[in-house]
Amino acid sequence: MASQSSSLRASTLRRPVAFRGVGRSILLTLPIALWSLLMFTPSFQRAGRDEHVGALAVIVFMTSLFFLMMRTGETYRWRRIFFVALAFLFPFGFIASLIAERGTMSIPISRMVSGDTPFCFMVTPSIILPAAFARTIIFPGSILPTASNPHSIAIMIGLWFAVTLVLGKAWCSYACFFGGIEEGFAAIAKRSRLHRFITRYGHILRLVPWAILVFVVLVSAAIFEPVYCMWLCPFKAVTEFPAVRNVETAIQMGIFVALFLGLVVVLPYLTKKRTQCGFFCPFGAFQSIFNKINLFEIRFDREKCVDCTLCQTSCPTVALSKESIREGKTLLNCMKCGACVDACKKDAAVWHLKGTPVAVKPERARLLFLYGAWALATMFGGSILANSVATMMHWLPVK
Amino acid sequence: MRARILSISAYMGAGLTLLVAVCVPFVLMGVFSNVVAHAGLHIDPSYSGGTIARTIQRNGYRIVVYQPVQPRMLERIEPFVQIVFEPADSLPARVSDEVDLDGDGRPDVRVSFTVPADASAKMRGDVTALNGGYVSLANVADESFSRMVVRSGNQIVVRVPLNRSVAGR
Amino acid sequence: MAALSLSASAGEALVLGLATGPVCLATCGPVVVPWLMVQPRGVRLHSRQLGLFLAARLAGYMVFATAVWLVGSSIPRAWTGRTWLMGGIEVLLAAALVVYAVGWPHRRCAAAKEAGGLVRIGEAPSGRRSGALALGFLTGINLCPPFLVAGVRAAQLEHLSAALLFFVCFFAGTAVWFLPFLSMGFVQRTPAVVMVARMVAVLLACWYGFSGVSILIERTFYG
Repeated sequence: MASQSSSLRASTLRRPVAFRGVGRSILLTLPIALWSLLMFTPSFQRAGRDEHVGALAVIVFMTSLFFLMMRTGETYRWRRIFFVALAFLFPFGFIASLIAERGTMSIPISRMVSGDTPFCFMVTPSIILPAAFARTIIFPGSILPTASNPHSIAIMIGLWFAVTLVLGKAWCSYACFFGGIEEGFAAIAKRSRLHRFITRYGHILRLVPWAILVFVVLVSAAIFEPVYCMWLCPFKAVTEFPAVRNVETAIQMGIFVALFLGLVVVLPYLTKKRTQCGFFCPFGAFQSIFNKINLFEIRFDREKCVDCTLCQTSCPTVALSKESIREGKTLLNCMKCGACVDACKKDAAVWHLKGTPVAVKPERARLLFLYGAWALATMFGGSILANSVATMMHWLPVK
Repeated sequence: MRARILSISAYMGAGLTLLVAVCVPFVLMGVFSNVVAHAGLHIDPSYSGGTIARTIQRNGYRIVVYQPVQPRMLERIEPFVQIVFEPADSLPARVSDEVDLDGDGRPDVRVSFTVPADASAKMRGDVTALNGGYVSLANVADESFSRMVVRSGNQIVVRVPLNRSVAGR
Repeated sequence: MAALSLSASAGEALVLGLATGPVCLATCGPVVVPWLMVQPRGVRLHSRQLGLFLAARLAGYMVFATAVWLVGSSIPRAWTGRTWLMGGIEVLLAAALVVYAVGWPHRRCAAAKEAGGLVRIGEAPSGRRSGALALGFLTGINLCPPFLVAGVRAAQLEHLSAALLFFVCFFAGTAVWFLPFLSMGFVQRTPAVVMVARMVAVLLACWYGFSGVSILIERTFYG
């Protein structure tokens, strides 16, 4: 009985349920509640019951999750709830708007030549070199927002850069509206069926995103095409994709579907890892570079660490190795999800603010990080959630 | 002492990061977007069709001729010229126009298409090359970025491939 | 117009060099890395050695550029077999890239094999300057895959000066990838860098293979 409960604890809760009193937790949650109200007040001023419901739902949702983070002292499981909800509701809202607007998820060539394709942040690394050398954006969008395309290149790059300044690689835990799909499928199975494979080859697999980043950036610059978007993006299967009109586009569609099913559904289920994020996504590798300048990180107190490798097992993207743990650090691709901190039974894995002593007041570092991350998650992901909820409300028969 | 200074700097940096986070929706996003918007960037001509060369007025509509778009070495498109007929609402049901693309006063291609009554319906058209500099297209819709006759908003966009041996490729 | 065309070619060559630099790194890295590792420590010394190596490599590039341009200018522009040649070369390129990627670290540049005396791990070579020059020149004329791509393009250019400029820019693009070798600290990190470079080589092989097969299929069925 004791060993059963301890193994359950190893994979879920580590700390006692009440890490902090209710009163203090509410106090610490207040800024986030106020921020949420500030972000969604314009929605209440707009006409439409559906928008009101969406906004209210998100305010309650985000505030409640943050309260639970404060109350339990855990980060990962509550963040994951938000992240999975975001990733499953975003395609729902997006696809619904596509069907309503043009009756199909596919992008006809006429929309590409008119610059109506909304800009996706994942193409950002690919456009840098052509923009730098030839002042050319290799994406069929529009630089400035238009009536038919509010998600213009300038707006989306501006947003991406601003959020990245704060989050760094934590974008992959708090902002990306795709990663939660894998996280959801990874959470289904009780244990990994490919644990040995990951243990043996994980150190090679985590280099693949870098190789894909280099390949995509340079080939995109050589042929002036967004190679990742046109050939390798698994999430085309749940958003929009170039209309199939010849053999090449049919092959592209096949690749998108195969990558989505393999990397986003099946492998996360089998491995309990975010396989697309950790072993494929070049944008994730690109964001890792910003970890170098970000002030927040996760560190390991070597005096407390007993090398049980629970942190390594719990990390969804294999961002920990025996060597890095021995040095008291994570690898560059750490996305600051908090899984290792929550899994560690010895309080050895801690949140850390660069420049301060390790494991001294780690909760302060965690709070400082979470306020920024959750504020941006509410602003960015929360608005997507509110929109999706409003869309769902449109479809409800009761008016 | 050094450790203390580092710690203070770290907390100041963390505070600044929080401030940046709060400023994102109100200030920063707009600032960075403006920087990108004013960076002198343009959409790749294979998508945008390039720059406008001249406009030809017709009865009730106009034909906008673009500069030829030449692919870069490894770019996988053919060289082409874009022609836009606008506004689509004012076009006759059947259009058959001879267009001078290179500005030498002589027509280079004849573009023919029927404007569908339903704006969302797929359309097809023909382009007949009147000299060796261009490639004729028969019953083409949206074959590729270099070969198309499509309706895009309130415009009919036609892209005519250049003859590669003449275009210098 | 000529100036525009020249600058367009230069830009293309630079981007091609940057694009295939990882392959250069993966091809010549196994030669350069052990050679640098037996040098005494010191950023200045490494910089000098690397400078000599790159200068000699550039000289090798110029020799190759002249040779391919002379060959290319003797082939008629309108020759219909040009497309078959392009497609075939790309498929061979893909195969060669896979062989290079999978074969490391056991394989080396053919040139370095001939100059075996220059690279002997664990033994500091004598005559450091001549070693750098010879090694650089031999890797410069080594017929590695990205070299062949650049060569095919340069052979199509009008003038010899354009072909030489093309290779200078191509060299500049590939040389960027050797900068991390400037210090021992960077060299010690290269196992991951070389692994990434090998993976990039495989990805490039897939790309060239797909491109070559597409060209051949299009030529076969559509003329």
